[in-house]
Amino acid sequence: MSHTDRKSDAPPGTLRVAGILAEFDGPVALKAAAAGVREAGYTVFEAYSPFPVHGLHAATQRVPGRRRTLLPWLVLGGGIAGGLGALLLQWWTNALDYPYRISGKPLFSLPANIPITFELIILLSALAAFAGGLMLSGLPELFHPLFACARFRRVTTDAFFLAIEASDPQFDETAAAVLLRSLGARQTEVYCQPETQRRLPGVLVAAAVILVPLLLLPPLWIAKVRYARKASPRIHLITDMDFQPKYLPQQSSPVSLFADGRAMRPPVAGTVAVDQPLEADHFLRGETGGKPATTFPVPVTAALMQRGRQRYDIYCATCHGLAGDGDGITSQLAVEREEPKWVRPLSLHNQSVRDQPVGQLFKTVSQGVRTMPGYGSQIPVEDRWAILLYVRALQRTRTATIRDVPQEKRKYLELTGPADAEKPATKP
Amino acid sequence: MTAITLEDNTFDDPTRRAPLVLGEADFASVTRRVCQITERPRPPAAWYAALAASVALAGCLLAGIVCMIVTGVGVLGNNSPVFWGFDITNFVFWIGIGHAGTLISAILFLFRQRWRTSVNRLAEAMTVFAVVCAGVFPAVHVGRIWVLYWVAPYPNQMALWPNFRSPLLWDVVAVSTYGTVSVLFWYLGMIPDLATLRDRATTRWRQLLYGLFALGWRGSASQWHHFEWAYLLLAALATPLVLSVHSVVSFDFAVSQLPGWHTTIFPPYFVAGAIFSGCAMVVTLAVPARAYFGLERLITLRHLDNLNKLILATSLLVGYAYAVEVFMAWYGGNPYEAFTLANRALGPYAWAYWLMLGCNVAVPQLFWLKKCRTTPWMMIIVALLVNVGMWLERFVIIVTSLSRDFLPSAWGIFKPTVVDVMMLSGSFGLFFTLFLLFCRYLPMVAMAEVKTVLPSNPQSPVSAETR
Amino acid sequence: MPRNPLRNLDQDRTTLSGVPRAVAPALAVGGGVALAVAFALAWSRDASLRDFSASYLISFCFFLSISLGALLFVALQHLVRAGWSVTVRRLAELLAANVSCLAILFLPILVPLLVGRSGLYEWSDPEAVAADKLLEAKAAYLNVPFFAIRAGVYFLVWGLLGRFFLVQSSRQDDSGDPGLTRRMERASAATLILFALTVTFASFDWLMSLEPAWFSTIFGLYFFSGAVVAFFAALILLALGLQAGGWLTSSITTEHYHELGKLLLGFIIFWGYMAFSQYMLIWYANLPEESVWYLARQTGPWTWLSVGLLFGHLLIPFFGLLSREVKRRRILLGGWAAWMLVVHWIDLYWLVMPTFAPEHLPFGLIDVCCIIGVGCLFLAGLLGVARGRALVPLKDPRLHESLVFENS
Repeated sequence: MSHTDRKSDAPPGTLRVAGILAEFDGPVALKAAAAGVREAGYTVFEAYSPFPVHGLHAATQRVPGRRRTLLPWLVLGGGIAGGLGALLLQWWTNALDYPYRISGKPLFSLPANIPITFELIILLSALAAFAGGLMLSGLPELFHPLFACARFRRVTTDAFFLAIEASDPQFDETAAAVLLRSLGARQTEVYCQPETQRRLPGVLVAAAVILVPLLLLPPLWIAKVRYARKASPRIHLITDMDFQPKYLPQQSSPVSLFADGRAMRPPVAGTVAVDQPLEADHFLRGETGGKPATTFPVPVTAALMQRGRQRYDIYCATCHGLAGDGDGITSQLAVEREEPKWVRPLSLHNQSVRDQPVGQLFKTVSQGVRTMPGYGSQIPVEDRWAILLYVRALQRTRTATIRDVPQEKRKYLELTGPADAEKPATKP
Repeated sequence: MTAITLEDNTFDDPTRRAPLVLGEADFASVTRRVCQITERPRPPAAWYAALAASVALAGCLLAGIVCMIVTGVGVLGNNSPVFWGFDITNFVFWIGIGHAGTLISAILFLFRQRWRTSVNRLAEAMTVFAVVCAGVFPAVHVGRIWVLYWVAPYPNQMALWPNFRSPLLWDVVAVSTYGTVSVLFWYLGMIPDLATLRDRATTRWRQLLYGLFALGWRGSASQWHHFEWAYLLLAALATPLVLSVHSVVSFDFAVSQLPGWHTTIFPPYFVAGAIFSGCAMVVTLAVPARAYFGLERLITLRHLDNLNKLILATSLLVGYAYAVEVFMAWYGGNPYEAFTLANRALGPYAWAYWLMLGCNVAVPQLFWLKKCRTTPWMMIIVALLVNVGMWLERFVIIVTSLSRDFLPSAWGIFKPTVVDVMMLSGSFGLFFTLFLLFCRYLPMVAMAEVKTVLPSNPQSPVSAETR
Repeated sequence: MPRNPLRNLDQDRTTLSGVPRAVAPALAVGGGVALAVAFALAWSRDASLRDFSASYLISFCFFLSISLGALLFVALQHLVRAGWSVTVRRLAELLAANVSCLAILFLPILVPLLVGRSGLYEWSDPEAVAADKLLEAKAAYLNVPFFAIRAGVYFLVWGLLGRFFLVQSSRQDDSGDPGLTRRMERASAATLILFALTVTFASFDWLMSLEPAWFSTIFGLYFFSGAVVAFFAALILLALGLQAGGWLTSSITTEHYHELGKLLLGFIIFWGYMAFSQYMLIWYANLPEESVWYLARQTGPWTWLSVGLLFGHLLIPFFGLLSREVKRRRILLGGWAAWMLVVHWIDLYWLVMPTFAPEHLPFGLIDVCCIIGVGCLFLAGLLGVARGRALVPLKDPRLHESLVFENS
């Protein structure tokens, strides 16, 4: 066994001693030496081996035999975080934020959520184990004074070392060397702290300095494009079916199907635009010159009046009554039941109704008034005029005198009607 | 390949434990033997030939993928009613293969099977590469791969979230988890060996790259202590993971109502089948690797014997599942289930069914014979046939059930296209390319772990147990 | 670690010679009395055997599952050439060989079937079969003669296998011949194949066919997983009990208990995996012919038992057994083992009872008497099997490895 202390490569006197390194024959010798060093009172020392040596870590600890490590707790923490996180994610997204039923499953389908929960427990536990293991080992630690020792390179092959560090309170070069040799060290060597902090090679640093900003560019550009205002349409990479080979309205087609080079035909004659002014305002809206019409736009005939009577009996009589007094069956029932919201329809014989121009009555029938709904969607325009004709006829029945009846019909009434033929039939 | 006569460590003597490393091996010789594979200036010529062939095949895969993305999913043979064809078959096949690596690394570690130390690095690498190959298929078969990120739960302007109740989402999470944990486990185990390569490096670049990934490992007792704890915890986590991942993949089928798919035994059946095909792939890789890279002393016949016994055992588990399925198809009284089974055996895909039974149940029975278990060329043939059989098993499950389900009016036949075949063969190309690169540049055998079981190591439990 | 563990072993008490001869017959008589009480209680209630049969089936399956788990363990340890388990393996061999006692204990289930008075199995009633097309279709399998033959085959296989391993291993106590280990190793593979098939079909016959319209391909594995959990729990308690009584004090160490605890935890997780697979797949597809079985267990008071089983059989013991310290402290491990046996009984109760009592949870004196009855008879059988044999394989080639075994 050589007893010569050999220093590291640098010239003496310029470096700080970092510790003393001793090589041993094998795992058993190393373990014994570690125990011996600990018994001698040293606390800051490490044992190195190419593979895990059973019992070596315990031998280097102040209290031998304790197997404390934080790692299982980190893993448990990771697992719990993964499990709760997974359940929360699935519950919140599928049952709360955008709940929808699929194949009849409940919104929060716990059995269906278990697989992902289980996997995420394992994932986060594994990440915790890996990161925790590295962190607790002090890795990555790319630079260490021992890497300067050429002999130390064999530690990962077949060599076993023990290193007492200079930061130990009772460290003394010669005393430590004597102790180590007495414990069976094959070689001892003092190793030093390097004079300059080793850095990563310039190439790698330069590459990192260039690459990192470059990698930041795409997300920054995307952010700019998303949030800045632009006049031109955005870049549309995946077009899917957005641009289809078809002709749009008003386009011309180069290969025209039609003689005028259009891709579509112009509208049919008589087409009316949605908000185009109507020529048939009197008929369709009951308005002449913007004001309610006072005359009927259709010829007044007995047939139209009969039609009007029939239509009146269908649509209007339920509320207004067969004679227009506002006592239709609906009204009677509502009053009987004391419906709180029911307003009895105004009698059609009321002076105010008789004074209204027929165009306004038309508007009432079409669009409704106060609590009466509009019947414009149910009754065609022609029929509305027919109904109004009948309404006017009903009104005439209360205000007409014998002088309004044509000559040829008077004799019939004189024979059957009331005695006093000069007065109107009923009170208004 | 020179024939080496080594002592036979496949003996059955119960009074002593077999040595796991043969020849007069010490720590330095083991290190040298493994490191020189990456350190020698040129790999064997066969490596170049194999790499060229693999890269060419991987090019087929790339071509197929490009064709699919540019033209559409219709270039595959999938059509009504067989909506899943080669794409999902290949996915399940590759994920299954990956499982043996985790079994060997994690489960055998927990059971203190020391022989795993020679093959676990290779097997873990196989797992990582198999997961990569597997992940290609669900990614491309979705059709619009450019919006594949929609499977992730990120806040979006459509206010939509993925449907976590679907087994397809479970797959995404499970396979990603499996890939991540496998890489972590593989890398963690490699750190000490990367440090070995760093310390033996002769060029600055090798020292730099291996040193960077070795993270400054020094082999101190406290580092080993935490390393062992992290390794144990990862192994304990990887064990339920490997059971769950292929179970989740089986859920893709079993949660449906399709006869032949919906049966409760699928999860353990798939896991057994996965380990089965994975061990066969490990054998397929280990036998030529040990021959070409001179690792017969480390990956011994005993290791291969043990792997083959695993293959035999899992083949019987798979056979058990087949038998129970057949029995239950009758016992259940469901006529559709009974028809599906009869259709598998006698219908248009009967050739696949019987070939599958032959390869999965019949052929591995050869491994009852010790001669077969310990002769490299025999075990390679069995292993290759097992992988064929397991691919066919997934094919039979997927395609026969889909092609003939409840309504005869909806029946249809699946025919693979050129792109299907290109992608299948290309996936093997990708796998072997990655594996060959691994062999050349990374430590193929877990040197630190093998050193703990060397007979010359006084602390080796193997040596302590011999009387 | 003792310097020469084998020498300490010589000072261990390794046989049951100290136990009085009267204990086994006393247990047998006590067990018989308990069963008679249970029978009488059930008969007095409604003159039918149903209540008694159902309770008896549960307790019978409970103890059977311990024996079957033991048989699996013995065969598996031989197959993988395990070294750590040698000191506990003889106990497992005894439990496995005790299956012959259970063959006799099967008669109270078989005999009522043969005479046509069983209330247990719907398919054994010719009228019910004639009225139900599904039962008629299954009659080729679910009929009394075939059932009886199959039961005979199961017990024959289990009995022969259990006896084989015990006898070979005991023979090695005298001769120390390593060839016997080789023979057991060679037999173990075939044992496991036969085990898988017989246990699967036994669980179909005795438990799954209680609900003859229902089926689940994983059922055999589900029963198997529960059986292995029960076995490990029983082995831990058996070892603790023997050591408390002064036997095997140095041969079964904390390391063995730690290992058994790990295996117990592992198989609890495996049971959870089997239970979840079966449940989730049936829940998800929601097919009426399958979900009816789970609906019965999710209705009324059975809901609480199902949830209780989830927590009590999986979640709570998982966290309880996770810690290394718990597995190395015998009193804690023993506590968890006892807990697992209780929840395993509840698991079997949950498998059997809902068919007979859909509205309420019947638990009473009949169940207690059945447990005590079958248990005493099982223990009596165990004592009989262990009479004159060492409790440790004294000359097993791997005994030394087991004695110095250390959990890393």
